Amino acid sequence: MQEDSVGVVDTLTQVYSDKWTGAEQFNETNPLLTFMYSNDLIYVVLGVTLIIWCVLLFFMFRVDKKVSSLEDKLNSE
Amino acid sequence: MTIVIIGGFIIQIPQIPILEQTARNIFFHVPMWMAMYAMFLTSCIYSIRYLNSPEMRFDIKAESAANVGIVFGICGLLTGSLWARFTWGTWWTFAEPKMNLAALALMIYVAYFVLRSAFDDEEKRAKIAAVYNIFAVTTIPFLLYVVPRQLTSLHPGADGNPAFSEITAVELRYILYPAMIGFIALSFWIYDIVHRYKTVQYRTENS
Repeated sequence: MQEDSVGVVDTLTQVYSDKWTGAEQFNETNPLLTFMYSNDLIYVVLGVTLIIWCVLLFFMFRVDKKVSSLEDKLNSE
Repeated sequence: MTIVIIGGFIIQIPQIPILEQTARNIFFHVPMWMAMYAMFLTSCIYSIRYLNSPEMRFDIKAESAANVGIVFGICGLLTGSLWARFTWGTWWTFAEPKMNLAALALMIYVAYFVLRSAFDDEEKRAKIAAVYNIFAVTTIPFLLYVVPRQLTSLHPGADGNPAFSEITAVELRYILYPAMIGFIALSFWIYDIVHRYKTVQYRTENS
């Protein structure tokens, strides 16, 4: 009874169910994904640390560049 | 001197022993946010001090701290996204309150810099930015603690649960807390560099 009424009301699921691919992507396989899933997801941890490292490094490089340009300005004065 | 003390803390980071699978992400993902809170709090304190006594050095400190805070926030968001991809199966989901509210919190701080760039007059910019900053910091605990805890979510710390206290294993905590201290110290060190750069820049422009 209740399932029927839900079925009548819930038109969204029918229309969009094949578009909710978020969960299905999990089964997708390509060489990169299989690599990431190997060894108990250890490469995810590697990726996370690499992201932090890259963002911080990029930020420090930017500061370094700014300091250099400031030095040039001071030297030329 | 400060740098030497802080440098001592930073050495703790490479010593993080590697345990097992993605649970280790907690050592990197969580301290990112802790460093961000520390930076935004510092920024807020200097904004209050600026309003108390309008000296430009407080404004420069508040700006640098907010800047470094955003960098750590971006790190936290990106790492969270990658982690979610391989544990929840999607890069980003709008059903996840903590994720979206964290992004919103970052937007508020991006707006802080947009607001700063809108003024040419230094005093005016500093004053309005300080007021906005105090407003911005009050939204952080609500966006990242109060609201996500009321809603259902896969992220730890939802449904009225604490994010980590009884749930987190003891072994994890031995590394998590030093990692937090380490990353917060690292954020203060970076903040110090940025702030020194900005001070020198300010002096050269006004001499």
